Amino acid sequence: MTTDLNQFPELDKTKFEQRGIQLEIGVPVTCAVSIGNNIAAGFGDGTVRIFSSREKHKTLKAHKGVILCMSRDGNNILTGGDDGYFLKISLNGEINEITNFGSRWVDHVAAYNGNLVCSSGKVVYYWDKNKKEPKSLNHDSTIGGLAFDAKGRRLAVSRYGGVTIWKKDYSNKWKSTKLDWKGSHNKVSFSPDGKYLVTSMQENVLRCWRLKDKLDFAMSGYGSKVKSFAFISDTSYLATSGAIDAICWPFDGEGPMGRKPICLPYIGNKQVTFIEPFPDEKAIFAGLSDGSVFLSQIENENNTIIIRSFTGSEVSAIAMTDDKSSIFIGDMNGNTLWTSIWDQ
Amino acid sequence: MEETNRQVPVTVLTGFLGAGKTTLLNRILTEQHGKKYAVIVNEFGEQGIDNDLVVDADEEVFEMNNGCICCTVRGDLIRILSGLMKRADKLDAIIVETTGLADPAPVAQTFFVDQDVANKTKLDAIVTVADAVHLSSQIEDHHEAEEQIAFGDVILLNKIDLVKDENIEVVTKRIRKINPFAKIIKTTKCGTPLKEILNLDAFSLKRILEVEPDFLESDHDHEHDDDVTSLSFVSDTPLDMEKFQNWFGKLLQTKGQDIMRTKGILNFKDENDRYVFQGVHMLMDASPMGKWPENKKRSSRLVFIGRNLDTMNLKEGFEACKSE
Repeated sequence: MTTDLNQFPELDKTKFEQRGIQLEIGVPVTCAVSIGNNIAAGFGDGTVRIFSSREKHKTLKAHKGVILCMSRDGNNILTGGDDGYFLKISLNGEINEITNFGSRWVDHVAAYNGNLVCSSGKVVYYWDKNKKEPKSLNHDSTIGGLAFDAKGRRLAVSRYGGVTIWKKDYSNKWKSTKLDWKGSHNKVSFSPDGKYLVTSMQENVLRCWRLKDKLDFAMSGYGSKVKSFAFISDTSYLATSGAIDAICWPFDGEGPMGRKPICLPYIGNKQVTFIEPFPDEKAIFAGLSDGSVFLSQIENENNTIIIRSFTGSEVSAIAMTDDKSSIFIGDMNGNTLWTSIWDQ
Repeated sequence: MEETNRQVPVTVLTGFLGAGKTTLLNRILTEQHGKKYAVIVNEFGEQGIDNDLVVDADEEVFEMNNGCICCTVRGDLIRILSGLMKRADKLDAIIVETTGLADPAPVAQTFFVDQDVANKTKLDAIVTVADAVHLSSQIEDHHEAEEQIAFGDVILLNKIDLVKDENIEVVTKRIRKINPFAKIIKTTKCGTPLKEILNLDAFSLKRILEVEPDFLESDHDHEHDDDVTSLSFVSDTPLDMEKFQNWFGKLLQTKGQDIMRTKGILNFKDENDRYVFQGVHMLMDASPMGKWPENKKRSSRLVFIGRNLDTMNLKEGFEACKSE
């Protein structure tokens, strides 16, 4: 499955495109997540499409406007939109309204083990799985991102000026601690081992905190805003977009301080705009600003294959099924590819 | 970056409380039939906007971490514009209404600073609605009113039916003293053809070549030291590029907070091209814009709008950049 980087027949269809299903939907793909061996993708016209290996994809009219965010909750997906709705959608297409904020957008959603979270403006709403009414967690500025840790015990909320970490104490009361750093923090994530917290900022930089001693440091040198990042293979690497290479910071041992990242180059000098890990492997899917998508091994840059060729539009979503058999790719012009990864 | 989609123009509507922003907004929305607009309003704004796509904004202003204290941007605008660009239906334009007490600089700076915003949208113009009855006293009492005049590309001097002709003259002069290159339109109930306020492309460098600012004699006898004024310079002697860059760069770096807007066309020694620039505080957009026209005299023109301009030795600094 390997090809030399310099020998790509750039305009030809890849074997993945040849055997997969390609659609030109004409509406931006805004998000995609796996549900078992299916993929749910959200679009700029409020539709959700569910792709599965056995049948033709299903199209659901879910929101009235843009689907801004999506998260998996067991066998359901959660979506938030610019129509103010926070919805739960099942695999067979049943749509349930959790709440609706009117003209206020639902910017971020997350879930852990049946507990549901969304943010709208400066407030995070948390639905305990046993309760009907949400608990409101207030912040001084608009929320840039939400993330649970791997055990669902802590909820990180990024905002202007840093991150607030929420946790329930023994008497079931919400307690927060703050990690401060000047500036606007967007996407946030705990490392899978729970030792680090990373945010991407409005400036072309990532900020990282080592949680045991709150030591913080920057990961910088990017040519543009880091819109996508993911921890790889437990916590071996943090792979990031924002440059013409996929930048992979080592997080094993003592972490990335004082160490150089691995830079995975791609043909064409286009910006990497989306990163999706290949589960359990030291490998990533990297989506570029021209629509092409590559699969690379982090520790062997020669082991890179092209999955999708140029479409002319920035890759905005990539998701792989739980059984690691198929992937979904979408871009800002609504070109999608749904294909199996393995040769038959 | 791929530039397959056209940039959606964004018009910023600013103006002091009660000047008539909402009237103008509704006029735009009802007169432009068949056009798809998104309107971004603040939650404390006046109600009654007749459009199916109205987005509430929080006017969250924050500082960029680029070592420049005057480089503030609207965080909410970055989020909302990115969201709007994901819509299925393509927008003809976006209108941002600011609160009456807002400083327009962070809105303008957002378009310089955020790459995604700059790729997909462009700042078309800042339109300031001014109340002809109350503007003079508002300028005296509120620095925001002065800033809104200073930043305007178009100033709608509204409610002129309520003011005597000689007073309109006084107000117009006051506006001109602050901002010599804005277009002033005198209106009643914001009545103006929409082509005068939309699709102006006022922030493009090309436009600067087309609009000649009124070069008034600079008036130095103002009452307060913190008055916003403007100064302009013209020179037929070619400038030395290196000297100019050194002077101007340092000037924006140290005085960028007080210098609100700059525009200029520059004639450099041994260069065939015209150089055009425009800036908001410390942020600047500059580029060569083709050869000088054969029939036109080569001369450099430079305009500053800001506070404390007379303490910056601008004339001496500019003179020192001459190549001879």
